Amino acid sequence: MTVLADTMTMFRNLRFALSSAWQSFWRNLAVSMAAVLSITLILILGGVNLLVGHAFSQVLDGFRDKVSVISINVADDTPLASVYDFQQQLSNDPRVASVKFITKDQALAAFTADPNNAVLAQQLDGNPLDAKLEVRVRNLSDVASIDTLGRQWSGVDPTNPTNYQGDFVKRMLELSQWLGYAGAGLLVILVVVSVVIVMNTIRTAVYHRRKEIEVMKLVGATEWFVRGPFVIEGVMTGLIAASIALTLLVIAYPPAVQQFRNDIAFIPLSYDPSFIASLARDLLLGGALMGAVGSYIGVRRFVRL
Amino acid sequence: MVLTPDFDSRPVISFQHVWKTYPTGTEALRDINLVVPEGDFLFLVGPSGAGKSTLVRLLIREEKPSKGKIFVDGVELGRMKRRKLPFYRRKIGLVFQDFKLLPNLTVYENVAFALRVLGEPDRLVHSRAAEALDTVGLAGKEQTYPSNLSGGEQQRVAIARALVHAPSMIIADEPTGNLDPATAWEIMQLFLRINARGATVVMATHNREIVDLLRRRVVAIDAGQIARDDRSGRYHDDVSKSQIRAQ
Repeated sequence: MTVLADTMTMFRNLRFALSSAWQSFWRNLAVSMAAVLSITLILILGGVNLLVGHAFSQVLDGFRDKVSVISINVADDTPLASVYDFQQQLSNDPRVASVKFITKDQALAAFTADPNNAVLAQQLDGNPLDAKLEVRVRNLSDVASIDTLGRQWSGVDPTNPTNYQGDFVKRMLELSQWLGYAGAGLLVILVVVSVVIVMNTIRTAVYHRRKEIEVMKLVGATEWFVRGPFVIEGVMTGLIAASIALTLLVIAYPPAVQQFRNDIAFIPLSYDPSFIASLARDLLLGGALMGAVGSYIGVRRFVRL
Repeated sequence: MVLTPDFDSRPVISFQHVWKTYPTGTEALRDINLVVPEGDFLFLVGPSGAGKSTLVRLLIREEKPSKGKIFVDGVELGRMKRRKLPFYRRKIGLVFQDFKLLPNLTVYENVAFALRVLGEPDRLVHSRAAEALDTVGLAGKEQTYPSNLSGGEQQRVAIARALVHAPSMIIADEPTGNLDPATAWEIMQLFLRINARGATVVMATHNREIVDLLRRRVVAIDAGQIARDDRSGRYHDDVSKSQIRAQ
């Protein structure tokens, strides 16, 4: 019975907190809108960071996919058994994801099928292309060691052992690392700035209502009874801000990608509608959390009995 | 009819050698010893800055004593844990000079608020709030906002809020300070009715006329000390009256 009564009281308190938060949001609309605006701006910055990060990671993934495949060219006089042995050896290597043997004929067929090589293909006499082992490595940083392994193999074409471009892979790895650092750094700065701004905005909103809080405490409201409506209002503010930020970002995303592609054509940035769901989840969660934490901290000074 | 406090009743408030010194070094209260029996109606009088409001703040546990002990209903306020404080305040009704109403809430919502805090069901909140507003003569003004009421009406709302949860004790700090004499008298009638129902009333006031008219217990505070404690006193000292020292 006591448990039931406690549950009922809790339910009533929650309902009261919800309705108080709703009323107070509309009754203090000017202050509420200031909070919504500041959270919206922060979320737009955060959202842009996420979108840019996602776009670059897509580009990087594309590059990574290409450079994580290394071709080991097979000398024409290498016996097939030796090739199969080496293929087997590579397949058993934990650094290797897959190995594919491409015969000379297959290599030629692929070469001539590429429209970019149309003119060159007509001038070919015989088949100058090597047979090759196309090795896909699990980790980009292992490409170099697989290249070394390939070069040491007795069946490799000594004039043109592999297609490995060490510098390019190294730069890719460095770029990917730096972009990761930059994204994380930007995110940390955004989080710190946003917490400070949101906390102060909400503290100002709470300061306007300090008398209300004083009365609540005097009639015997618990700290959580006072805090509850403010935290819920903070969540509401955050969700409204997130919705506005999301709408603006969704509208601006495709033209921004198009503009980028027009301006910097060599970076194959692409519009990814499937990312919007994850962006929406992150923004709504971020907004709600920001509002809740900002309110919790902002109201603390006035709530303590 | 003048009711005489029954000093044989159970003491609900007890100050034992209470001192209050603020961090600035100001001694607001010095060695206060005071017992308030159940059902008492007590006026705290004295000049501004004498320590009346400090005493009230100690009683509602907005402040802690620097020395000494304060017991209310057998509980020592100085040792009360922070999380217990809301539950203590729910047992008392508070009325202030500046009414302390929530301007964004209607008259009804202001009164109901004291019950919402308790998590009472809607039906009970509604009936009790209506009853309290009826008691203070504000039935029909439920949906009015405080800013549209006169000072006297706002104080009535505050009193309705203070008594809606049927507290055993009402603490009032200058409740008639902002009111004209006629309205102040009407408000005092309300306090008398609440007291007649059995609630203990402690009221800090500057209103000489009311204190002299009602002839209730008067505790005069001067320079942080109890200067006199008259069972049926007046605002100013009158040596011809019988005096008691409730120590």
